[in-house]
Amino acid sequence: MAQQGTKIKRTKSTKAVKIVSYTVIALFSLICLLPFILIISASLSTEGVIAKEGFGILPKGLTLSAYMWVFRYPKMIIGSYVVTILMTVFGTIVGLLIISMTGYALQRKDFPFRNAISFFIYFTTLFSAGMAPTFIWISRYLNLRGSYLAVFLQLLMSPWLIILMKNFAKSVPFEITESGKIDGAGDFKIFISLILPMLKPALATVGLFLALGYWNEWYLSSLYLGSQVDFKPLQYYLYGIINEANALKGSVAGVNVTFSDLPSNTLKMATAVVATGPIIFLYPFVQKYFISGITVGAVKG
Amino acid sequence: MRKKNVIRRIAAVTLCAAMAAQTMIPALAEENVFEGIDTSDHEVITMLVLGNKPTNGRLEAMLEELNAVLTEKVNAELDLFYIEWTDWQTQYNVQLLSGDSRVDIITTATDWLYAWENTQKGAFLPLSEDMLKTYAPKTWAQVDADGDWDVCKYNDEIYFIPEDHYTQYTNHGMFYRGDWAKEAGLEDGTITKYEDLTDYFAWILENKPDCIPFDANKNTGNIITGYLTSKTDNVIISGVNVGNDEFWFGMSPDDPFTVTSPYMEGDALYDAADLMKEWNDMGVWREDVMNYDGDTREAMYAGTSGADQHHSQTYYSQVKPNMDVKQEGSDVKMYYWGMENNNVSKPLRTHGAAAINSYSEHPERALMVYDLLRNDETCYRLINYGIEGVDYIVTEDGKLDYPEGYDTSRDALDSNFWCGRNDDLELQNVSWWDGTADMIANYDSFAYDYPYEALIIDKNAIEAEMAAMANVLSEYLPQLRWGKFEDPHAAIDEMREKLMAAGYEDVKASIQADMDAYKESLETAE
Amino acid sequence: MKKNKTGAAAAAAPKKPFLKKLKDSRTLLLMCLPAILFFIVFNYCPLPGVYIAFTNYNFRDGIFGSPFVGFKNFEFLIRSGELWHLTRNTVLYNLAFIVIGNVLQIALAIMLNEIGSKLFKKVSQTLMFLPYFISVVLIGAIAFNILNYDTGALNSLIRATGGNPIKIYSQAGIWPFIILFCNLWQQTGYGSVVYFASICGIDSSMIEAAEVDGATSWQRIRYIILPSLKPTFIILLLFALGGIMKGNFGLFWNLIGNNSQLYSTTNIIETFVYRTMMSQNNFATSSAVGLYQSIFGFALVMFSNWLVKRIDPDYALF
Repeated sequence: MAQQGTKIKRTKSTKAVKIVSYTVIALFSLICLLPFILIISASLSTEGVIAKEGFGILPKGLTLSAYMWVFRYPKMIIGSYVVTILMTVFGTIVGLLIISMTGYALQRKDFPFRNAISFFIYFTTLFSAGMAPTFIWISRYLNLRGSYLAVFLQLLMSPWLIILMKNFAKSVPFEITESGKIDGAGDFKIFISLILPMLKPALATVGLFLALGYWNEWYLSSLYLGSQVDFKPLQYYLYGIINEANALKGSVAGVNVTFSDLPSNTLKMATAVVATGPIIFLYPFVQKYFISGITVGAVKG
Repeated sequence: MRKKNVIRRIAAVTLCAAMAAQTMIPALAEENVFEGIDTSDHEVITMLVLGNKPTNGRLEAMLEELNAVLTEKVNAELDLFYIEWTDWQTQYNVQLLSGDSRVDIITTATDWLYAWENTQKGAFLPLSEDMLKTYAPKTWAQVDADGDWDVCKYNDEIYFIPEDHYTQYTNHGMFYRGDWAKEAGLEDGTITKYEDLTDYFAWILENKPDCIPFDANKNTGNIITGYLTSKTDNVIISGVNVGNDEFWFGMSPDDPFTVTSPYMEGDALYDAADLMKEWNDMGVWREDVMNYDGDTREAMYAGTSGADQHHSQTYYSQVKPNMDVKQEGSDVKMYYWGMENNNVSKPLRTHGAAAINSYSEHPERALMVYDLLRNDETCYRLINYGIEGVDYIVTEDGKLDYPEGYDTSRDALDSNFWCGRNDDLELQNVSWWDGTADMIANYDSFAYDYPYEALIIDKNAIEAEMAAMANVLSEYLPQLRWGKFEDPHAAIDEMREKLMAAGYEDVKASIQADMDAYKESLETAE
Repeated sequence: MKKNKTGAAAAAAPKKPFLKKLKDSRTLLLMCLPAILFFIVFNYCPLPGVYIAFTNYNFRDGIFGSPFVGFKNFEFLIRSGELWHLTRNTVLYNLAFIVIGNVLQIALAIMLNEIGSKLFKKVSQTLMFLPYFISVVLIGAIAFNILNYDTGALNSLIRATGGNPIKIYSQAGIWPFIILFCNLWQQTGYGSVVYFASICGIDSSMIEAAEVDGATSWQRIRYIILPSLKPTFIILLLFALGGIMKGNFGLFWNLIGNNSQLYSTTNIIETFVYRTMMSQNNFATSSAVGLYQSIFGFALVMFSNWLVKRIDPDYALF
């Protein structure tokens, strides 16, 4: 009897936890989704209605004209796409390699300099030179202003990602490194052939952070690239469109249009959808690897 | 300031019939003034201009043709470097901070592009007379003949070349619709004093439900300065802004050498703030004007805004011709600040100027290129108007027009050469309002000469205090000018107190000292 | 020597001569080299530049040639209380972000772990992640379109239901909540991934054992999952503390811009620095604030690390 009682209690409690979980997650997901619906519906609305009534959940006066504007002269946005994709892909790969190497080395208990180096890296989050000195250094002395490299390099890694990686690597049992050593493999060989495959969940996590860092970048671009490059990274391009009515005109230059015909509100939103959309559609595919990477994780020891 | 590009977007700027008579410098164009200068190395000269980088290919086509000419004449080519309008102040400052040696010629101005500050900070190369005479001889001769080098000197050295031979009025004011003003009961449909605007706005609110009386956005200029100009005799001292705001004034055109600030002294600011609050409460502009970023000039063209704020050249080159077409019969007019008390100063000769980057690797060649752009008819037309027959045509009576099917919004050249335009070579633009000459003649009849062109304030001693004041102003002024304070008088008192604490008196004394020295130098010069 | 491993190695290490240590660990050192170089070039090299905060900076003379003015650039900031005001805003915002953010992230990660339906898990996780794909640039625009007085979605709704619209962009008091909301909205899904990964990393035999012993879901969460998240939490916390004087500049800038009505509650150190640079061309003052930010943040972290070390040295960062 008593045992049955606990069992009922247990299922009750478990059920309650489940119900709460489902409700909260569902609600939160909806809140996350809402602004997207607003943007998409705005991009499909007619300009006049939007200017008067603002955004709504459903498009007001369904039209595709804003998208037609975006794609009538797609050179700039396509160029931005290419730049951003290249930066994201290469930045993530190179960044991941360096971060994982460092993270692995820093958690090796037989590495005498691990604390010194860890502190050396962590210190940079505590004490930074600030905007103006950093800017002067990078543009005047490294001469990187106007080069995509200025943005690419600065986003390559962060102390936070290295320490995160270090902690993931900690959970890989030291015996694996030992067994490699017994086989006579060097540290680098051990890292590449034994450790790296076991770090999959960590690589997925850190890689996603890196990739998003590149994808969402606009601020460094505004400081270091300005108008000096032919194609601005996507989010910086979007920043210009959203903040400056003239940039919008620039984006459709080459199209025969008198400005007052230009659907500026809806065009902004359509540009936003086009600039954000594809990476979102990509996510479910990444997620498949991402989630399985995490759950398959060889962290069980 | 942002809207500058809109006006100037029409690269084909030209002035009034009065100027049309003297269209060309004869003969001079043919002789080679650069004889004997070694130009054996081919060099690329980069010029910094403001504006959005065009993407329609017209600029590249023009540059190709221009560079052929430049290569032949001085073995150099020109490249343009754009500071775009998005966050342009940041972009401009940051560009100078970067010490980029690729840029050779920098567009600057003493009133809106911090020319003196940047001179003092060492961003520009001092230009010796010899250098100018050798490498920019025609420019030298013209500026010298007009006696304008003095307005570009700091510590007796010339730091930039003024765009002093180009007529434009850049005094600000409000554009409004004459047809509506008439219906609103204003005499002749004309606004003659600041308060009249209230009646005009009120009429729109009542009769035009789809129209915002004065649709402004976060970049719209400070209309309180307009009020202060119209209601006091104080003269704005341009280029000694505190932060981004014009703050320092001279007492009056008759007593220009006493420094004051209506923001600190007198009651005009209280009245201005009350009026702004009244307007804000009426709903003259959007409630969220400080975050709004829509294109308000387009709104006026579309009939959804009853007024717009900018300067005279915008009015006669852009707004008037556009409104005549897009809102037929709107009879758009301009109420300029200082109309009721004739407090209008003649244009500043350094509203546009060219400086050479102190990091430039080939300043001599840069000057040579500049000299050609400014004085050689072929180069001038290319950089300003583009390729003849494609970007512009010259009518039989020698005016500038556009070819069939040309659309400014699509085909604009956007070369934005605003640091060396020249009335001698300007073509009168047929698209401009035909009353332009009268308007300018009217200004010329009563406007006083701007008294402070060669005044330089030494900011070194007061930098920290100015920064502190700017910090206070950046918080209070925008709210005052959009009428956002519940109790504007209390807010003003608070602001004045804080400005005092920030060191107002010290800064004022320091500026007054510079002013006294300046006054003395003028007197000895006479 | 080769046999000296794990704990023994660490204990024995100090006795080894430096050069020998260098030689033994050269591969590991080489593996760290790119990162070390990176931080030298991008973080350490600009450091001497903080001297700019004590100068009256000019382009010609550069940072070290410009005239030295001592603490002049700091003077007014301190005297006017501006520095205190900025510090308070920055720290309070970050504390709210850290505390509420982490609690939410942990809660979401645990709930996500409780969900059995694979499809539901997948879809909801995707949705929760969505906000992070939106750049702050767009968040500013969306917020304006929802919140503005004349045409905003929120006020349209209020008007439609007969209420009085709210002037959100002139009420400084509301903005801390809006900013907090935006920050949580954007970061929570993303942040919970780290915790979720940690939960997935828990030895499943432990959980199975607990189930056999008759533990309820709640007990499982309380006694197994939560404790196992502690190390992750502490590391995240210390990192967040390191950045407590910094801020999510992009979010604040894109939401507020130059709307000075809202400065009293929304001006943080980084927006102040940016505005000072932008509107005043004043690099020295902005750097003075930056330097203060670094020093204050540094002291704060040293203190918290010292505290953590006293409580449980395992979790200390260094």
